[in-house]
Amino acid sequence: MSCASAGEISVQSLTVRYPDRKKPALDAVSERIRAGETVVVTGPSGSGKTTLFRVLAGFVPSMIRAKVKGDILIDGVSIFLEDSPLSAADVGLVQQDPDAQICTLNVWEEVAFGPENLCLAPEEVIARVEESLAFLGISHLSDRETIHLSGGEKQRVAIASILALRPQVILLDEPTANLDPLAARGVFDLLRRLKDEEGRTLIVAEHRLAPLLPLHPRLVLLEDGSVTKRQAAVQRADLDRLGLRAGWEIPHASVARQGTPALVLDNVSFGYDGARLLDHLSLQVWPGEILGVIGPNGSGKTTLLRLVAGLERPSSGRVVQTKTMTPGYVFQQPHQQIFERSVRLELALDGTMDCGKLASVLSRARLEGFEEAPPLSLSQGEQRRLTVTTTLSRAPDLLLLDEPFIGQDRRNVEWLVSQLLASRERGAVTLLVSHDVPLVGALCDRLLYLGEEALEGEASAVFGRLEKSGREAFTPGFWEGDPA
Amino acid sequence: MMAPRVRGEREALLRQTHPLANLLLLTGFLVAVLASPGLAVRLGALVLIILLALLSGESARSFLRKGRFVISFSLLLFVAQVLFVTDGRVIVHSLVTLTDRGLVLGAQMALRFLVIVSSSLLFVGVTAPDRLARAIMGLGVPYRFGSVFVLALRFVPFFREEYRTIREAQHMRGLDRPIRNLRALRRSIRYTLLPVLTAGFVRADSIAISMKGRGFGLYPKRTITRRERWHLIDLVPLGLFASLLGVTLLARRWTWP
Repeated sequence: MSCASAGEISVQSLTVRYPDRKKPALDAVSERIRAGETVVVTGPSGSGKTTLFRVLAGFVPSMIRAKVKGDILIDGVSIFLEDSPLSAADVGLVQQDPDAQICTLNVWEEVAFGPENLCLAPEEVIARVEESLAFLGISHLSDRETIHLSGGEKQRVAIASILALRPQVILLDEPTANLDPLAARGVFDLLRRLKDEEGRTLIVAEHRLAPLLPLHPRLVLLEDGSVTKRQAAVQRADLDRLGLRAGWEIPHASVARQGTPALVLDNVSFGYDGARLLDHLSLQVWPGEILGVIGPNGSGKTTLLRLVAGLERPSSGRVVQTKTMTPGYVFQQPHQQIFERSVRLELALDGTMDCGKLASVLSRARLEGFEEAPPLSLSQGEQRRLTVTTTLSRAPDLLLLDEPFIGQDRRNVEWLVSQLLASRERGAVTLLVSHDVPLVGALCDRLLYLGEEALEGEASAVFGRLEKSGREAFTPGFWEGDPA
Repeated sequence: MMAPRVRGEREALLRQTHPLANLLLLTGFLVAVLASPGLAVRLGALVLIILLALLSGESARSFLRKGRFVISFSLLLFVAQVLFVTDGRVIVHSLVTLTDRGLVLGAQMALRFLVIVSSSLLFVGVTAPDRLARAIMGLGVPYRFGSVFVLALRFVPFFREEYRTIREAQHMRGLDRPIRNLRALRRSIRYTLLPVLTAGFVRADSIAISMKGRGFGLYPKRTITRRERWHLIDLVPLGLFASLLGVTLLARRWTWP
């Protein structure tokens, strides 16, 4: 699978300013990326990673309005020239959410979409589609409807659809953010093959850096729109030195699991369309306990939360709350639980707050200054912090969280963890679904793994059994260490 | 190199046929039910739709399940006509008056509704939207319009899922209170529409970026790799289309019952 030219990138004093923001999203960024190089761009939420990718891919300012100063040259040609010979075939962008990228109804059509737009001959289109599908190992999905694919399969289709364009430069914006650890591992393996076998220029935005170490990437750290650190051939020790470790140490006292449990699942089964998601699951959770739920996409983690919340009824078995509990549910997509016109009104939905309290609540959630802002205009990370704040403001006894850490940088995760620990102190029962295995392992009193079989117990015991059974992508070691 | 698969070899009758042939067949049913004067053609059309559904891989149970609303509504139409049309020869005169005209009008209206909705359901159920879009573009319709059609279909399950989750989120937050006045109704609409529309706009933006990033609109034309071709089996829906037109004309000429 060859591409036309080299793929050397030169970013020259690039400044990008969005019309509605005071500070520039990117501030005089200069970077030179050699052809065939692998660069990992990391940094806190809002540091400018996505903006950099969108400029490189040619979407800013042509589709997304912004003032741009400076230049970007790809193989010596400016991407901002009106009659630039560069096209979609030169730079390909894989977005964070594959659902937001897929625009057709069938896998074959999706991968053919780009080559067909380039007016290639039908034989060439067929050849590229078949090659891309084979490279990603998804030829068997060729005739499937895109809507019925799992998250990991969708991300592979999204990458295949970019590969079929044979771009010299591939940009991947947090390509594993929405994937379960197993699917994420598949993407990391794929990146390694793209580097080793194809020699493409790869630029990857990622928070989870350890699994990328085998690619020996160059690290670029963006903070507040500027490059603050660079590190060639980054290694595990560099991550520690730069404060970019994936590991967590969260000291907390253990919960006494005595007396009556607050929540009991008794032989619960649930399924739909002929598929059984939960099969005779029995579980007890005590007051003040945080139960982490991990497992592959589609294994029933969200369904478990929905059953506990009473949004679904089990096909057999019982879900029992031994005392009346006020539930609080943080959904996976924050926009789905935001209803008001301003942040202040949104918080007022759960009880009025005086100005002083409102300011302090917003400040703790790093949302200061957004009181009158329309909540849906906030970034996804900010929206998620708002939904956590509104949910916790009702002091729920039963807290259900579905992937609350997606899109949050370390500082925001620390805030969220402090909120969960405070709820725990109050005796709330928490069920936490997350793909962030190291964090779940460090934070939760017990783990429930849902997959081919359900495993439940202390974190170390569950991780040990997963490692023994070859599912090490679901253990912290894979995400914290330097996997070969 | 494997050639692109256009039709499923083991697929049932109308799932294999050309989407435009299916579209013509749907037109045939609509013409028959709207232009034929009596009951016979409509009843025949309904029987034919049920047969075609069964031949196209629908089990009788699933067809009944999908058509539950249609059947109940048709029955309601029938009962309403029978109860409220009092012209014609009286058949029963007791608590209610039933006339022969009421029965015929009720049956006609119920059958018309049943045939229109069930033929449309059959068409939607057996015709893959991407194939229909390709067939329409094959007629020379600009690819941008064809893509809009595919994209619109791509958004249907998205909006359905968003709506469901947003209603659940309202429930979890205690915002799904009973609507007792206009203000509450307005608030309920706003709380539902605002997040659904926002999600739609955000998704549309991302997909537009994804499409442009893959060269959509770069050239006035684009390659169509998978073309829908006509096959002998397409004679089945085409023949049925012609028969439905013929029978409707005959029924109009000789005023069948």
